[in-house]
Amino acid sequence: MWINTTRFGRIDVDSADLLNFQSGLPGLEQCREWALLADAENDALGWLQSTTRDDIAIAVVSPRRFVPQYQVRIPRSELTPLRLHDIKQAQLVVVVSKNNKGLTLNLKAPIVINLEARTGRQVVASGDLSLHQQLDHTLATLKKSA
Amino acid sequence: MLVLSRQRDESIMIGDNIVVTIVDIRGDKVRLGINAPSEIPVHRQEVYEAIQRENIRAASLAPEETRDIGGLTSK
Repeated sequence: MWINTTRFGRIDVDSADLLNFQSGLPGLEQCREWALLADAENDALGWLQSTTRDDIAIAVVSPRRFVPQYQVRIPRSELTPLRLHDIKQAQLVVVVSKNNKGLTLNLKAPIVINLEARTGRQVVASGDLSLHQQLDHTLATLKKSA
Repeated sequence: MLVLSRQRDESIMIGDNIVVTIVDIRGDKVRLGINAPSEIPVHRQEVYEAIQRENIRAASLAPEETRDIGGLTSK
């Protein structure tokens, strides 16, 4: 199925690969259907592209690639709408955003995806986690000077 | 806003499938129990609003702005 996107042009997505977010996303409640795309230049990055709003796409990453110790406690009530019995069956991604210092990750509200059922939902994880965890060049700079 | 007074263990019904119960009252803190269908998200308002704002901000991110993400890390 062909969809229009402002970032990636007109793209063809397989209907079977689409994800249904029953409640949309907070702030984007009307966007219920999304395509998960791989970024062409960056294998660390994915894009959740809305199939109904061509200008709406959310950059997502696998959290442990950037925060190796990232662990979440997600209440069972958050998993039930996804038909998940166990968080281990789920695919967890976090939203990438930016502030005036650079890119940030939303560790407080990860997106949980049930790949088998093709459903997804943004959940609120318990604990003291940041909505804007700063990503910086520290490690990259250290490598260069070594 | 509809304002109702309730005592401990009393409840309020919202629509035909949401029930809010006063579980405990201690000083200036109220513990609320919420019974709602699992597809209806229930959150502390300030947390939900912060997530809304963050998603809207994230939705303005362009691919060009993410080019060097591979080399980044988090403290």
